[in-house]
Amino acid sequence: MKIQRISRSLGSITILSSILFAVSAGHAQQTTERFIPIGQSPGISDKYSFIGEIVEVDAAKHTITLDSNRGRRTIDVTESTKIWLDSSGAKRKNTIGSYEDCQVGRRVEVMHLRDDESVADWIKIESP
Amino acid sequence: MIRALSEIKTCQLRACVLSIFACTVIVSACETTPPEPPTLVELGEQIFLNETFDGNGRTCGSCHQPNDNFGLTPAFIATLPDDDPLFVAETNPDLANNFENPRLMRELALILENQDGFDDLPNDFNMRGIPHTLALPTSIDSRDGPRTGWSGDGAPGDGSLRSFATGAVIQHFTKTTNRIAGVDFRLPTDEELDALEAFQLSLGRQEDIELPLPLKGVIAARGQEIFLDNTLGKCNACHFNAGANGDPSVFGPGAGNLNFDTGVENLPDQPADLTGEPNPPDDGFGAPGNGEFNTPPLVEAADTGPFFHNNSVETIEGAVAFYNGDAFTNSPAGQLLINATGSAINLDATQVVAVSAFLRVINALENIRGSIELLERSASAKNTPRSAIDPLLDRALHDTEDGIQVLSGGGIHPEAVASLTSALDFIRDALNTRTSARRERLITSAIAAERRARDQLTD
Repeated sequence: MKIQRISRSLGSITILSSILFAVSAGHAQQTTERFIPIGQSPGISDKYSFIGEIVEVDAAKHTITLDSNRGRRTIDVTESTKIWLDSSGAKRKNTIGSYEDCQVGRRVEVMHLRDDESVADWIKIESP
Repeated sequence: MIRALSEIKTCQLRACVLSIFACTVIVSACETTPPEPPTLVELGEQIFLNETFDGNGRTCGSCHQPNDNFGLTPAFIATLPDDDPLFVAETNPDLANNFENPRLMRELALILENQDGFDDLPNDFNMRGIPHTLALPTSIDSRDGPRTGWSGDGAPGDGSLRSFATGAVIQHFTKTTNRIAGVDFRLPTDEELDALEAFQLSLGRQEDIELPLPLKGVIAARGQEIFLDNTLGKCNACHFNAGANGDPSVFGPGAGNLNFDTGVENLPDQPADLTGEPNPPDDGFGAPGNGEFNTPPLVEAADTGPFFHNNSVETIEGAVAFYNGDAFTNSPAGQLLINATGSAINLDATQVVAVSAFLRVINALENIRGSIELLERSASAKNTPRSAIDPLLDRALHDTEDGIQVLSGGGIHPEAVASLTSALDFIRDALNTRTSARRERLITSAIAAERRARDQLTD
């Protein structure tokens, strides 16, 4: 009788655990990411990111195209894409940027989503 | 005169030949026995304990103290001098505001974190305890990737333990709140990150224990039954084998480490709030957060309080009792448990104490395992200088002290406490003795006493 109760309980928990997983996606901390200069993000730079120069900005499509270390890429910049201005080279504080800061000729690092290389998770733009 | 000069020249020549011979011998000796290069773990330990990354003077070990279970408690903080780098907010004017709360640090071992961003420093922060870095190989992996820190999202980059140090340097090592890389700190190199990861993964348990254990004490044995009973304690579902992972029979194979909103933030009368110091709500995982926090391992719990992400509960009994209260019962995790099992967790005082006694015993067993390992390492390091052996003995000493405290704090197993006290005396003598032969004998005696204590706790 007791074993049956336990099994019933476990079965219910198993079903409900899927709800928990739905809201518990693991991800990296982005708050300190902003302070890491272009090309130095551990485990990301060169592996899950493109580093290069912006060659085209399509405001209508909200995309940027860059000549990167992994070839020419066109990337979607979405509402959830974090954009930061990397001023560490000029020994100034890194700040939050916007899509308007994506300008042709500027050096950037774009981290793409793990499952979709055409969508930007975050963008670091080198600030003069 | 000529003869005298000749003798002098002969003597000089001999001296010169002897010097060359001696130098040759020394060089030859150096060539034949080159010093062993440090292992990656040893290199990581040096970095963890000594490297400041050109920042404010703190090291990883400033908060993750080797002699405080690689965590930090108010009792340990009270032993530190005022010029310890932990207290930079009190000594560095650039860090006087919005970097730490000295009162909450000293009284409650709470550290300031800007989990949700650095754009509103006076208002947007959380006060969190310092989790130990023991048994990390058992507590990080999850289906969704690595989970580090209190809310599972403690590391920038790829979110891994390897990347954790980079975020820690930015948050805690900076000279000013501008946090400019190359000015306020330098970031760890790839080689340093590799070494730091290897060192952290080497600490403590390398695998989960397997329950049930053949415990000798009736109270702890009953506590283990309650812990494992999914209709009573319901602990094992989320703390499988008293670790940090979900029960595979409940959450599926490879569930690994999980995040839950258990309602800790809704506890009334939290110590940090009682001080009157600013203490904004902590929204946990993500930015903005979803209220969830990481599941910690329980084997190491009893000697690493205070408990929960905000150090809100001081004792292991209080931490077990938390799951009886309204804060947990009304939380998303508590409601899921009620929906799944038909009832809330409702343990009476004797049952709370029994589960706590179980947690105290498995913690003491881990203290003993760790002490024996350290003692055996120090005994086998025959040609190693004292400066390398003493830290091992010192850690064994602290582990043994912890074992004594967790057992005596629960009023259980006085015979094992006596054995551990005996081991403690042997370790102290080993630290103080000058001859290596006597030290070896004392270490052997300490190991025997540790084993006797272990046999008094379990079959």
